[in-house]
Amino acid sequence: MRIVIADDSAVVRVGLIEILADSGHEVVAAVGTADDLIAAVDEHRPDAAVVDVRMPPGYTDEGLRAAIAIRRDHPGTGVLVFSQYIETRYAADLLGAASGGGAAGVGYLLKDRVAEVDDFVEALSRVAAGGTALDPEVVTQLLSASRASRNDGIATLTAREHEVLALMAEGRSNAAIAGILVVSERSVEKHVGNIFAKLSLAPSDADHRRVLAVLRYLES
Amino acid sequence: MYAPNNNASSSARAILMEFLVRSWEYRRPRLWIGVRFACGIFNVALGLLLLAFVHQLGQLTWLAAIPLAGAVLIFWTVYQLQQDSVRRVQELEQSRAHVVDDSAARLRRIERDLHDGAQAQLVAVTMKLGLATKKVGRMIDGAEPVDLDRVMDLVAAAHHGAKEAVTELRDLARGIHPPVLDQGLGIALTTLAARSELPVELVIDLPERPSAAIETIAYFCAAELLTNVTKHSGARRATLEAVHAPGLLRVRVNDDGCGGARVEAGGGLAGLADRISTVDGRLGLRSPAGGPSEITVELPSRA
Repeated sequence: MRIVIADDSAVVRVGLIEILADSGHEVVAAVGTADDLIAAVDEHRPDAAVVDVRMPPGYTDEGLRAAIAIRRDHPGTGVLVFSQYIETRYAADLLGAASGGGAAGVGYLLKDRVAEVDDFVEALSRVAAGGTALDPEVVTQLLSASRASRNDGIATLTAREHEVLALMAEGRSNAAIAGILVVSERSVEKHVGNIFAKLSLAPSDADHRRVLAVLRYLES
Repeated sequence: MYAPNNNASSSARAILMEFLVRSWEYRRPRLWIGVRFACGIFNVALGLLLLAFVHQLGQLTWLAAIPLAGAVLIFWTVYQLQQDSVRRVQELEQSRAHVVDDSAARLRRIERDLHDGAQAQLVAVTMKLGLATKKVGRMIDGAEPVDLDRVMDLVAAAHHGAKEAVTELRDLARGIHPPVLDQGLGIALTTLAARSELPVELVIDLPERPSAAIETIAYFCAAELLTNVTKHSGARRATLEAVHAPGLLRVRVNDDGCGGARVEAGGGLAGLADRISTVDGRLGLRSPAGGPSEITVELPSRA
């Protein structure tokens, strides 16, 4: 993969370059501001961008806004936003921007996850390939938020279906979900089918339905 | 070092402050206004009574003017006290706003320092250790040739990063509350002077400890003032004084630098003045162009 990195901290940039280079990926640009990020993506058209939320000059959500702009202008570039804290609101903004294009291609991870090098690189690959990768922390927050709200479809899900949907929201495949929950892939498929039914998602393009289910979940 | 009369006036003010803080007047303002009113009314009545007997008094009628004048005086002081308390409330509102702004700004700065410093450093450490773990695992499995130098580099870099994070956290913690302050302001200032890049002469006379909040403010004022001297004045030496007279703590920094220090909006000295005003203290500045400078911070003993 060809990757652009944007983080205002030089030590984090160096660390990321090292990890990605070690996994056989090419970092074509590493920048420290949101403006430079957009310029670098325009120039290099990378497969994926890794973007810190907080960057100069305002140190608020410059990175997030740049990420949304990239998803809008460059459908071929997956965007993995990573941050030192999780804002559910940011995740919703990001996925909202992604669904406009029909595909996902976005991710939102805590910076801590980089410690698990293989998981991080795998999440980045998933995002580059047009999938999603949400931090378990985001999913937990969304889960508690959706339990508190009155959305009918979500409220009727069983505990197991919640777990499956949470893992779907993280961007996992059925096989991966089966591995994590230690159940057969067949029963995961059954749960997924139940979730689609309960959220009234008509059988069509299966992958797109997964994204819609997650979105329904985020909106709840 | 300074003129004796200056000293005398300062300690007289200190005694006055102490008296005000301790006095019943300050603690039971309503009661004392009531007493004043009663005296005033009594004087008016007395004056009127005297006027009523104007025939008997004859030439001594002017005596009636005494209680009446007294009444005017008493009512005037009541009015003044009232005005004073209105002013006081306005001042308190202002200084409370400063406290709120100041603490919000401090929290934001601490968050930023943590985010940019130790947190980023530790993320980099976990990346390096994660990569090292992965490599060692692959070497054990035989998926990668054994390259201990490479692993050593990663672990050494992580070790270095962790040490930097520890240093940054320590500096940050000291910036929030210097642990040495628990031993007393005198020891804290001695440490501060010793850490300064300039030679600092210390004059410390603190027979009693001021309250913790005052010690903290005094410490941060001294730290900021010494930093200013080092950074801006071009001085070769400085003097740091901390003297605690009853009711009043005075911290003074002198230097032989270029002078010209000013309290400017948004500047470091303005920030200090704001913080000092939250406890009813005072910042005095004497810094003619060409130097030398003398900056005095006066704080009440208790806040």
